[in-house]
This record gives sequence, structure tokens and C-alpha cells, in this order.
Amino acid sequence: MTGKKRMDIAMHCGQPDRVPVMCQLSIGHYFLYSGIDRLTIWFTSEGFADALIALQRRYNFDGILVNLHGRPPDWKKYVENIEEQNDEICVRWKNGCYTKFPADDNPHYYQADGTVYHPELSEIEPEKLYYIDPWQISGINYPFTWDFSGEERSGVNFFPEYINDTIKKVIEKTNGAVSVHGEVYSPFSQLLELLNYEEALMALLMDPGKIHACLEALTQGTIHLGISEAQSGADAVLISSAFAGSGFLSREQYEEFVMPYEKKVIRGIKEKSDIPVYTHTCGGIGDRLDLMMDTGTNGIDTLDPPPLGTVEFENAIAQTKGKVFIKGNIDAVNELLNGNEEIIRNAVMKRLNIAKAGGGYILSTACSVSPRTDPANLELLGRLGIENGRYD
Amino acid sequence: MESLLDKIAHCVEEGKINRSSPYPPEMKDQDGADELTQWAVKQGISPDDILQNGFIRAMDKVGKKFSEHKIFVPQMLMSAKAMSVAMEHLKPFFQSGETKRRGVFIIGTVTGDLHEIGKNLAAMMIEGSGWEVINLGKDVRKEKFVQAVHKHPDCVVGLSALLTTTMIHMADTIRALKEEFPQLRIIIGGAPVNQEFCDNAGADFYAADPQAAVVYLKQLS
Repeated sequence: MTGKKRMDIAMHCGQPDRVPVMCQLSIGHYFLYSGIDRLTIWFTSEGFADALIALQRRYNFDGILVNLHGRPPDWKKYVENIEEQNDEICVRWKNGCYTKFPADDNPHYYQADGTVYHPELSEIEPEKLYYIDPWQISGINYPFTWDFSGEERSGVNFFPEYINDTIKKVIEKTNGAVSVHGEVYSPFSQLLELLNYEEALMALLMDPGKIHACLEALTQGTIHLGISEAQSGADAVLISSAFAGSGFLSREQYEEFVMPYEKKVIRGIKEKSDIPVYTHTCGGIGDRLDLMMDTGTNGIDTLDPPPLGTVEFENAIAQTKGKVFIKGNIDAVNELLNGNEEIIRNAVMKRLNIAKAGGGYILSTACSVSPRTDPANLELLGRLGIENGRYD
Repeated sequence: MESLLDKIAHCVEEGKINRSSPYPPEMKDQDGADELTQWAVKQGISPDDILQNGFIRAMDKVGKKFSEHKIFVPQMLMSAKAMSVAMEHLKPFFQSGETKRRGVFIIGTVTGDLHEIGKNLAAMMIEGSGWEVINLGKDVRKEKFVQAVHKHPDCVVGLSALLTTTMIHMADTIRALKEEFPQLRIIIGGAPVNQEFCDNAGADFYAADPQAAVVYLKQLS
């Protein structure tokens, strides 16, 4: 059975030949261990596709999450120069801004004065919002434009032609062997990235009417992007909704500011495609699994255990089995990054014992694999999943 | 009858910044912490009294409610904002030495880490418990922490990190600080950090949440 088929059965809550294995890797992990240089990974669709595939093969994963969008083929024409000092690379752009590349973490885009741009809520006109990608190469801007072209786009033309290039390249290069997932940011995550976290969180209380108008507008772009990923051949779409856990919001705030929009995103994508749409929320979601399921999501990703999160895995499985698929729960820090062979073995066996029966489970770390996680630990995780995850 | 200090404390606790602030809706068109504190100063109420029985009392309740999951980050940010706006009226008294705070607390997110919401929440809660907070910001190199401690050798230092990639810089920073200031107390916090990491890195206290840091600092002052 191919990884693609295995994942597909599990994502439909079924029982394939064995439990699939697929972790979301941090960008820094690709920088450190894919064998491809940072600039190529970050700035080219081809380079990132190659990095994704290199580590999927090394770790025997059944699926790949394409967690950066495609890149403009002409990015180099906007570069003034590239400086390298110690471990850090700095790309200076012709517009005076610059991007700093640590060796092991996501690059960050700075204004010429060294600040990171965020507009004030008072500047925002909700009807000018459609989608915000915080990791596009020219960072956050408003009204949002892609790369350095400065070209204002709207409606059906909002997303540039290259947006799904990485998904397409991964599909082409893996030739149907693995499950390829696209990613969209939830409207709530986009809003927090746009305004900066503290300002956005206070605005929920100070100006809820405007916040709802912004979230509504961002929902439309998110649906559009999700559909375009499905049409590009993605086998599933992940909604990245990192800030919707109890570390930030109450259940009531989740119901007001997150749930209605994710529900619309899921429904909107599903109206135009039949692929699974699932939700990635970090940290404390133990108190809101019922609400997450009520969004119509096909699956729940992460399920961080204590101390990073609040999910008691046995309870979560009892609550969700047969309703949504589950992916995650291995503690990416305390078990995988800092763990030894015994800890990792115990971690895998514990999850399989709890979640394997009846299918619908994908063995995975809860949150992203930390950049400096030893590849040997991931190889071990993959091997243990394959050896012990069989249903026959 | 509710005293002026009770009203200030109520505004801080509820996150009512000033008259024009629309939050909380049930306090619409009422004076907020800003106007009431200004009025209290004009009335000759001692700044110490305002600090203790207005701000600190309120922020103590806010911290406890946050730890008990009765309020969440948005409400806590509003309370902290109300307090910090009102605190501006006390600044002249701090500068003249008429009003003393519990001590100096220097806080920053360690080098390489650009996340600061957790650090800022801790800074606000600690300021609200009566400490002078020097917030060095995010992505702070160890040399900058050392430099800041040179200016305030009796301070307590707080280090924050959200990323597993940057938590390792905590240990470097702690080493550099302890080498020059062996008696210095250092608190650490952040999502990937735990007690074991704290022990190994040589920090003095692991704060699982901002209120834990406040409680620890109370014991020191």
C-alpha cells in the first residue's frame, strides 16, 4: 500500500495496513538536515520541494505537509546583495529592507530601520483584506501584496500563479507515492500575524465588530486558497490555527472569533473538493475538542500533551474516535528533541496502544519537530511506527 | 461607598483604560484608570497608596484569575494596559524617589527569539506587583543583559524563550550573568522550558506562568 493510500484511509477514519507516520517538520530542520542550502529552500519552490522529499524519504513518512507557498521565480531581481557572517545570512533587498536567516530557524523580514511592520487596526479597511501570508518573502504588508512586485491583486486574481508551485512539484516528484498536504492559515491566525499578537488580542475586546468584519473578509481568501490547493492536486488541506488554544483564548472567545470562520473555511473548501480538511491548533485544546469537531473538520492535528499542552490522550481518543482522524500527541520537545531511544520507544508504543485500534490515527509529533532534533530520533520514530503500527 | 482607590483597582482589574475606551462595554462613558489615577494624585492621595491599594491589589487578582483560567490573555492584556497608562501619573514620584518600588526586574527574550507576548505578559504582571521593570525587548544578546545588570546590580533577571532553538541561548546567558554576578537571581519561563531545564541551566526559578514569577518575587522583596 502506498503512503498516499494509507493516509487517505486513515484520514477517512479507516484502518489501513498500518498506522501511517507523518510529522510536520520545522523549516529550521530542513535548513539543518536536508542537505539543501537555506536560500534555496526559502526562496525557490523547487528547492523547498526537494527538501521536503529528502526528509520524507529519510524518515519514511507517509505524507508531506507543504508548509510554505510557492515562490516567485524572479526573486533574485529584487536582491541588492547577500551577506554572510558567522552562522547568519542577511539578504539585503533593493527596497532597503532585509531578511535575516538564522542557521536553524525561519528567516525574518525587516524594514530598513530594523523594525517588523504591522499596521494599526485603525488603518485597516476590512474590505481590503483577503489573505495574509506571514511567511511570504516580503513579509507582512497592507494592503497585502505578494513578493516585491507591489502589484495589488483582488478577487479571483489575488493569488499569484506560482502560489501552488511547490505542491505541484512535490506531487510530480513523488509520483503518487505519498500524501501531499497543502496549508492555509486560519483567518484568526492571519489577523494575529497582521496586527501583531498583543494588539490583535486586545482588539477582540476593544473593537469586536471590526474584528469580525476582518475575519469575514479573510475567510473568503482562505477558502479560495484552500480550493486552489485542492485543484493543484493536494490530498488534504491543513488549517494552521496556532493561536486558538486555551493558552490564548477562552472557550467562549474560541466560539466567537475562531469557530465560525473555520467552519466556513472547511465548508467552503469542501463545496468544491472532496479532500479532507483538518485543523492544527497548538497547546491547550483539551477543553475544546468538541468545538473543534463542530467546525466540520476531518481531523485534529497536534494534541499537545502536558506540559506543552492540555490533551489527555486517552480521553481525547475516546471523545473523537470514528468522528475525526487524529494526528499527533508525541511531545516534540520532551520526548523527541530531548528523548533517548527508550523514551522515544515508550512514546511511540504508548500512542499506538491508545490510538491504533480501529484506525483513524496518524503517528506524529504534536507540534512541529524542533529544528535541532537529531535525525536519528526521527528515523527511530518512523521505524517504530512501521514495525508496531501494523493491523494484521 | 467605594473609595477612589477601590475605583482605580476596579478599572485595572476590568481593563478600563480611560473614558474613551469602549471596553468593558458595561463601563462605557465612565472614567478609567487613567483619569481616576490623575484625580487621585491631584487629591493628594499618596502615590504609595495608589500603587499598593490601586494597582498592586488589582493586578494580584488579575494574576490569580489568569492562573485559574477565569480570564485569558486578551483580558489580562487589557488590565495590564490600564495599569501601565495609569502608572504614567506615578512616574514623577518614582523618579524623585518619593515612592519606592520593590526592586528592579530586568527581562528580555533571549537572542534569536522574536516572540515576546509571554515575556510582555510577565513584565506587565511583575510591574503590577510593584517592581520597576526594565524590558530589554526581544532577541536580546547576553552582553546586553550583562550590561543592564551592571547598571542595576541588585536586580532580578527574567529570561524568556518560546522556541526550542533559542532556549539553548538561555543557558549561555545564565552562564555569562552568573560568572559576573554570582548572587544574581534569574527566573526563566517559556513554552519549551521546564524545571529540569531550569536546574540544568543554572537558573534560580522556573516560572510556569507570570503569576508564578510574581509569587517568587514577593518572597524576595
